Amino acid sequence: MQTQPLSQPTLLSHLRALYALIRKDWKQYWRYPLNAVSSVFQPLIWIAPIYFMGQAFSENGKAIGFSQYSGTTDFMSFILLGTVLESFINAVFWGMGYALKNDMDSGVMESNWLTPIPRLLILIGHSVTNLVVTAVTSIGMLVFGGLIFGFNASGDVLKALLPIIPMMLGLYGFGFAFAAVVMLLREANTLVDVSSFLVQIFSGSNFPVNALPRFLLPVALALPLTYGLDAVRANLIGTKTILPLQWELILLIVFMFVMLWIGTATFRSLERRVRTLGTLGQH
Amino acid sequence: MNAKSLTTPGFSSDFSALWAVVRREWTIFIRYPSWIIALFIWPVIFPMGYILTARALSGVDGSGLTTFQNTTGLTEYVGYIAVGTMIWMWQNIVLWAVGYSLRNEQMRGTLESNWLSPTWRFAYLLGSSIPQLVSMFMLMLVSGLEYAFLFKVNFSGSLWLTLLVILTAIPSVYGLGFAFASVVITAKEANAFVFLVRGIVMIFCGITYPLAILPDWMQAVSKWLPQTYIIHAVRTAALSTEGFSGVAFDLKMLALFGIFWLAVGYALFNMMERRARQTGAIGQY
Repeated sequence: MQTQPLSQPTLLSHLRALYALIRKDWKQYWRYPLNAVSSVFQPLIWIAPIYFMGQAFSENGKAIGFSQYSGTTDFMSFILLGTVLESFINAVFWGMGYALKNDMDSGVMESNWLTPIPRLLILIGHSVTNLVVTAVTSIGMLVFGGLIFGFNASGDVLKALLPIIPMMLGLYGFGFAFAAVVMLLREANTLVDVSSFLVQIFSGSNFPVNALPRFLLPVALALPLTYGLDAVRANLIGTKTILPLQWELILLIVFMFVMLWIGTATFRSLERRVRTLGTLGQH
Repeated sequence: MNAKSLTTPGFSSDFSALWAVVRREWTIFIRYPSWIIALFIWPVIFPMGYILTARALSGVDGSGLTTFQNTTGLTEYVGYIAVGTMIWMWQNIVLWAVGYSLRNEQMRGTLESNWLSPTWRFAYLLGSSIPQLVSMFMLMLVSGLEYAFLFKVNFSGSLWLTLLVILTAIPSVYGLGFAFASVVITAKEANAFVFLVRGIVMIFCGITYPLAILPDWMQAVSKWLPQTYIIHAVRTAALSTEGFSGVAFDLKMLALFGIFWLAVGYALFNMMERRARQTGAIGQY
């Protein structure tokens, strides 16, 4: 007797599932419009103390001390760019890790997991809305930030976008592993918050990493994101780079492949462990 | 016929309810061991971002630092930033933990059923604040030790005076948390409100810079925020040898703000609770 599976997953059905996930997250996001609007201004609020602090260190609006490390006296353009890129990094951290925790809390995680959809697709789906929203809010942030604090980019925008592609794909790999750890520990807030904040500090979103004390510098240099931020800034606002630009790009491409491989393998192994433990439905 | 109610609420039953909420919140808090990581890591990494930015702004030869000293009259920035960011973290955690306590129940679907029990409803909010207060004291203690040993901050002031300032600040900080929680039950968009309140504190209260740097209108706004006085008082009490006279005005303002925010918090809670029941929105999310 021939058995017929309840579902026959195809590429098309996967795409439909991905679309459904994105639609659900998109609807949920805009259901709370105040939250949505505040996400544009939130990063600007974070950098406001840095702006005023920077004023105290500047003469006639020029941060001379800062330029000795970064190669530019325009510290606000440096920081605004760092903040925009950091928003994308956070989108992956929160979009994957925190979305799974939300599913756990609302009690839909186990039922979602029983559907015949690749689990990595669920993670990707959860992060897409976040990334689209981040792209929109980043434009808003640059416009408002430019008006409030001043933003001067004279470089080649297309050239600056080049390092972002391998950086983001590599981040996705990292996000897979990260989401699996959240699933195992069933706690996301501290993990997401602390990790994204540490990455933000050590990748140099608010200051050039060569200003770090000597013993902390290796941490920054070990993070591929450091080179991504460095390359984008060099292309747009002409800052000094840590390594020659082509080397930074090669490093980012290697990082992309390594992280996608490690992230997928870690997710598969930890996800199996969670299913064996039977803790998928718990929170 | 004499009607007999199913329960006869009194002080003792209210206290039992409060204790049950405290126990529940404490159990949830220690259930996720990541709080230990947060306790030790946040006090270091949060100010570190600003301290390292200040280091970069100082420059290799310290020329930026000289400008900073001329502009602000301060000789060092590490202790100054550490204390400012610590107070901000306190208010931020209260907004998330206390402000979100009822919203979390709403999200889990337990708020409506709890509301139906014959208990003192304010106990849900008050009960969630008590374990939070205990964890905050632990955080402050760890922060002080880490600042002294890792950042080499010289706490030349008085420990008892610092403690007095913190105790006086509790009603303002938690009163604001109660008011916030009440707004969130009906408005539901908790994130936006947290971002707004903590953003105001971050910009206007001078967590990383002296208020004199701000334009006049911003300085005028900062005078209406209790966190401005908390930050100034804790800096004076912990980092300088000015003594009680240096914080007397701040303490007076904090006492006034404390009464105001506790009253506003309690009144808003009652108002919003009634409104949420009338509109039937208490169980929605």
